[in-house]
Amino acid sequence: MSQKLYVNAAGFTAPGIDTIETLHAHLDGTQIEQPEGWKPQPQSLPPRAARRLSAAIRLAVQAAEQITPALPPEAAWVFASSIGEGDTLNDILAALCREDIMIQPVKFQNAVHNAAQGQFSIAVKAEGPGTSIAGYDMTVAAGLLKAMMQIVLEQVPTGFVAFDAPMPSPLHEKRPFDVPMAAALALSPASSDQTIAALDITCGPVNEALTDPDAPVAGWLMSSNNPARYALPLLTRLYRKDPTPLTLHLSPSTALTIQVADA
Amino acid sequence: MSSFALSDITISARAAVSAVGSGKDAHIRAMETLTTGLRPCDFDPVNLNCFIGRVEGVEATAFPAAQAAFDNRATRLMAMALAADGFDDHIARVMSAHGPARIGLVLGTSTSGVEFLETCYRRRPADGPLEDSYSIRHHNDHHAVTAFLAEHLGLEGPAFTISTACSSSAKAMVDAAQLIQLGICDAVIAGGVDSLCMTSLYGFESLELVSRNPCRPMDAARDGLSIGEGAALMLLEKGAGGPYMSGYGESSDAINMSTPPPDGAGAVAALTSALTRANLTPADISFTKLHGTATPINDLAETAALGAVIPKETPAASLKGLIGHTLGAAGAIETVMALDAIEAGLRPGTAGLSDIDGQIDVTIQQSSQPAEMKHVLCNAFGFGGSNCALILSAR
Repeated sequence: MSQKLYVNAAGFTAPGIDTIETLHAHLDGTQIEQPEGWKPQPQSLPPRAARRLSAAIRLAVQAAEQITPALPPEAAWVFASSIGEGDTLNDILAALCREDIMIQPVKFQNAVHNAAQGQFSIAVKAEGPGTSIAGYDMTVAAGLLKAMMQIVLEQVPTGFVAFDAPMPSPLHEKRPFDVPMAAALALSPASSDQTIAALDITCGPVNEALTDPDAPVAGWLMSSNNPARYALPLLTRLYRKDPTPLTLHLSPSTALTIQVADA
Repeated sequence: MSSFALSDITISARAAVSAVGSGKDAHIRAMETLTTGLRPCDFDPVNLNCFIGRVEGVEATAFPAAQAAFDNRATRLMAMALAADGFDDHIARVMSAHGPARIGLVLGTSTSGVEFLETCYRRRPADGPLEDSYSIRHHNDHHAVTAFLAEHLGLEGPAFTISTACSSSAKAMVDAAQLIQLGICDAVIAGGVDSLCMTSLYGFESLELVSRNPCRPMDAARDGLSIGEGAALMLLEKGAGGPYMSGYGESSDAINMSTPPPDGAGAVAALTSALTRANLTPADISFTKLHGTATPINDLAETAALGAVIPKETPAASLKGLIGHTLGAAGAIETVMALDAIEAGLRPGTAGLSDIDGQIDVTIQQSSQPAEMKHVLCNAFGFGGSNCALILSAR
């Protein structure tokens, strides 16, 4: 059974691509320079507080705040990340190797997978339901599935944020990727004058004929190996109003099939 | 849109493993007698003066050979839950009735298999690489235990992991119900797991939230939590035969990562939303299974929220004096225990509680009593201001 959701805004953040508009320009052929030492710079976190937070949190928040104006304060939020807080995990694991073990309290409370969702909720006073989902390379699909269920069953506008940041060594070598990336969508159960497109989503057996996760999108982003890259084909189709169905696996044999439609 | 009501979904099987043992009988016995599973910390290489809720026999349990790549303390706890009370037989039944593509899986965890990664960090040469055989996907990845269970059981439906700290596996119940409500799955396995690990023990120690004694929820002298471990599984399926989750509510405090507001405003929102969804009045609730971590601030905020929503005379108790705080697994383990209590006609008391905090203005159940319970409220709250309230109902 197909469900219809409405997209009211999109967000994106990666090195040299600080907004969804820059991604759109890149999709149209504008070359992107990846600045040396690029760091996400979210506007909604107080600068002093932001410095204490991980790159993963700042990355997610920068994507999330691009869609916040398109959502009501009571919106639900679904954050999806395979790794979550890799930097902070590494800091804690290193501290646990020392003779005199001391973990910084602020590190520990920001080590949880939902640190980005929690910090974002504090920054923008988002008091609605919030969740934090992981599914290895199927993380984006699982997050979209949860957002869809929330929207259809609860009839509540929902912010969806997918993000992953590279991990430091020695974790990096075990799941190597270098490009941090975050994508966001403001989704709603009903269309409005903000609506930019509709999505028809079905969840069911994989239709192999439709499987095309590597649609022609910006090559370096798609080949980054970042688990969040699976949001790119959808952002690309949304921008191009491309109705070609997209398959996102939820298991080897179950998938979301997503089609962009007119609002 | 057509969808199934929550009352069309039954929790048809359940299994829990915790410090008090494995399966229903062990948990009912512990609740009846209020015999704690907490003991002085003997979890190597942790050197802290505290009590822990350690599961017996994790190291010796048989682990499925075909899934050896996933073998760690967290997946072992999950394998123990799967074997408890014949839970695996129920999975075989729904797999054969509906086919593996119609069975979903949603687990909650906060630390997954990080305990094994801690060992690998400690035995690697300084600043050297991790051993060749170490695999993130099979161990510390948040989705690792879910992937283990899906591959071990041959499930083919949607499978994902919720990681919202200590509310994780309560929220997994919400997602499991939604998968059935929308007709995506005919049955969903929901649950949670967290193992003892250095990260959690030293982390909560750094926040000065770990008690030097077995934790004393709601007690005037409570001084922190005791960390536990465990796993629980529930099978939700279409049908109206047994107990069910009649309501759920979720909210975010949006105020602080680790401390709720004194009035528990976020918890109030979650409780209220759960009642509304269940179409129940506050007086319909027979009993509240508190989150009840035994930290001074959390217990006050939670009971303030409870008193603002549920009649003050409605009894409430914390189960953490029995099993400790099992973190991401707490929502699922304590939901299973609440279902056990409903079935046994037992209203559990609060182990560790001797002198109720005079600032607490709701009825805390100290000793266990026989009681018929129709609707039980189950709270789970976590870091990040993540609040989840479930209502479990007998038919």
